[in-house]
Amino acid sequence: MKPFLSAITGITPLLAGGLAAALALGTASVALAQSSDKSASGKTVVTFAASHFAEVGRGDRLKAWVEKFNQSQPDIEVKPVTIPFSSFATTIFTQMGGNGGPDVIRFDLPEFYAAVAAKSVLPIDDIVKDGAHTFTAADQYMKVEGKRYGFAFDTANYAMVYNAALLPNGTPPKTFEEFVKLGKEATKDGNYGFAFRATMAERGGVWYDLTNFVYGFGGRWSKPDGTPTFNSPEVVAGVAAYKTVYDAGMIPKGTDAATYRRMFWEGKVAMEIDNGGVATILTSQGKAHPIAAAPSPFPHKEQGMILAPVTINANTKVKDAAGKFLQWALQPQQQQELQTLLGAANVATTVERTPEELQAMPWLKVYDAQTPNSVPALPQGLETKAPEIQQIIVQQLLKVLQGGVAPQTAMDEAQRLITARVLAQK
Amino acid sequence: MKHNSTARTLAVLVLLGVAAFPLYWMLVTSLTPSERLFDATPNLLPTLSQIGTYAAAFTETSLRQWLVNSLIVAVGTTVLSILLSVLPAYALSRLTFNGKLLLGFALFMTQMLPEAMLVVPLYDIFTKLSLLNTLLGLILANTAFTVPVVTWILKGAIDGVPSEIEEAARVDGCSRLGIVLAVVVPLIAPTLAAAAVIAFFHGWNEYVFAQTFISDDALRTASVGLASFVGELSTPVHTVMAVGFIYTLPAVVFYLFVQRYVVAGMTTGGVKG
Repeated sequence: MKPFLSAITGITPLLAGGLAAALALGTASVALAQSSDKSASGKTVVTFAASHFAEVGRGDRLKAWVEKFNQSQPDIEVKPVTIPFSSFATTIFTQMGGNGGPDVIRFDLPEFYAAVAAKSVLPIDDIVKDGAHTFTAADQYMKVEGKRYGFAFDTANYAMVYNAALLPNGTPPKTFEEFVKLGKEATKDGNYGFAFRATMAERGGVWYDLTNFVYGFGGRWSKPDGTPTFNSPEVVAGVAAYKTVYDAGMIPKGTDAATYRRMFWEGKVAMEIDNGGVATILTSQGKAHPIAAAPSPFPHKEQGMILAPVTINANTKVKDAAGKFLQWALQPQQQQELQTLLGAANVATTVERTPEELQAMPWLKVYDAQTPNSVPALPQGLETKAPEIQQIIVQQLLKVLQGGVAPQTAMDEAQRLITARVLAQK
Repeated sequence: MKHNSTARTLAVLVLLGVAAFPLYWMLVTSLTPSERLFDATPNLLPTLSQIGTYAAAFTETSLRQWLVNSLIVAVGTTVLSILLSVLPAYALSRLTFNGKLLLGFALFMTQMLPEAMLVVPLYDIFTKLSLLNTLLGLILANTAFTVPVVTWILKGAIDGVPSEIEEAARVDGCSRLGIVLAVVVPLIAPTLAAAAVIAFFHGWNEYVFAQTFISDDALRTASVGLASFVGELSTPVHTVMAVGFIYTLPAVVFYLFVQRYVVAGMTTGGVKG
């Protein structure tokens, strides 16, 4: 055995240097810690978390929009917090559980309701007055037991986007049967007719995709009073239709949404049913394959709706400053700019499309026309139970798709499990 | 004999290919033109025309800063883990005291709890200690997870050191601490290297704490930075692959640097007498 010092001659300096560096930089980073809510320039810092910030294109535009606020304020600085979408909710709730977290949060609807139920977000009736703004219809979902906990940062409708060059006649399907036929015909030469999610790894996305099928066949997850209808004939018809498409060999099975959307703008997928935010990205990224939009090819017009509220963390120490940012965001000019940067999405207040927008993105009309038929994807009256319900429904759906279980059998089981395990909980 | 040698070489090459293929595939994907990314026939060779992806990874993202942060966390975790583990390992191996078994078991208790379970209380504690948004906080959290493993690895190595060597040092007037530092530690140097690799890899790859405790973009580690490319609506595949490829290299280099000691550490005690 070599003597220690000679045996690790190469390591000792590294370790010693590393220790010194780690301790020095670690100590320095302590000094940089945000132990106070003031920035180096003495401004009150408001942290704002939204998964948008990580997106290509929209992320930078949203940061620039926030920076406009910072430029207008002598005493407040809003700092965007980038958290990957895949771990956004987990991270935020973990931080909230530890009595911290960002001051302002753009949640998805299920997490919003969960946060309200856990009293993790603040009522903001004193910050946002009902009569002061022309809110869109989606605003009705921002109140719980009469108190406002946020406003819609963005809402997006669902419709079909298609690549005419990949469809046999260049025209979109109008019926479900035609949709399956065209999808099969477009599936050749390494291209696919359609794409949706069908893995537990993307449970949330599967839920939204399935909801469009269920609503499109006339179903609802629940009655307005919260009575579950997971095994109603219409819901089962939607699940069976999902299975029909899955079995038709027209989708890239197992592909995640980020990948098949990329495939779409690379001209490899003919049709998708997706929300307006996605449509905007598809058009900006896939310039070589211009998209068009059409109503989803289902018997009923109703489709799901993405609704993402912005709210204030109950742990915040800078509520007033956060409130000023929210008030600024609701001003007409800010709403106009926000809607433009978000693309085919609406904002909290009613904002008319500009002629320039409609000329650049004519397919926006299809998405906007869908507004009266959009319904939140959450089971009405059961919003706070949504995560557990989604887990059970998607498990049963996968049994239908991959396990050969009949749709009616699977949804009967879903109804039973949700009633026994989820709704029985106090 | 020559036949055997050729077969062995082939077997080694096949194994090497299997081990290195994921890295190679990341490289190829990062260098495949967009329009060919989803071809039915995959691209097997990288296309140098796309090499700008790598330059862009450094100029258009914060990759350089993320790598520096990860390096600080990984090296800090490694150094602190080794420093804090040597004495407990020696105590568990050589000393007799009440509750020794319980202490050893208690050390492993921390390993039985997933990070996800500890992250909330740790977040609360770190808030009070102003350790949030600091690399030092990450180093401490990671060290708490690596110290038990490293301690037990070192204990196993110290068990293999003949006690007669220590007795000889004691006869020569060496103190207990002196024996540990001057006699025992040099003899277990290969195992120290193996333990350092484990600690380094943990610090380098750790995600949950890094994601939860750090909100300042300038202090993000590479594991979190890499994940941030995977968006809700789209993912820049080339960038993810390029950054992922670059992200693996420092860990590979570190392993290559210490691997000869690691191998020695793994074989130490294999043959006695």
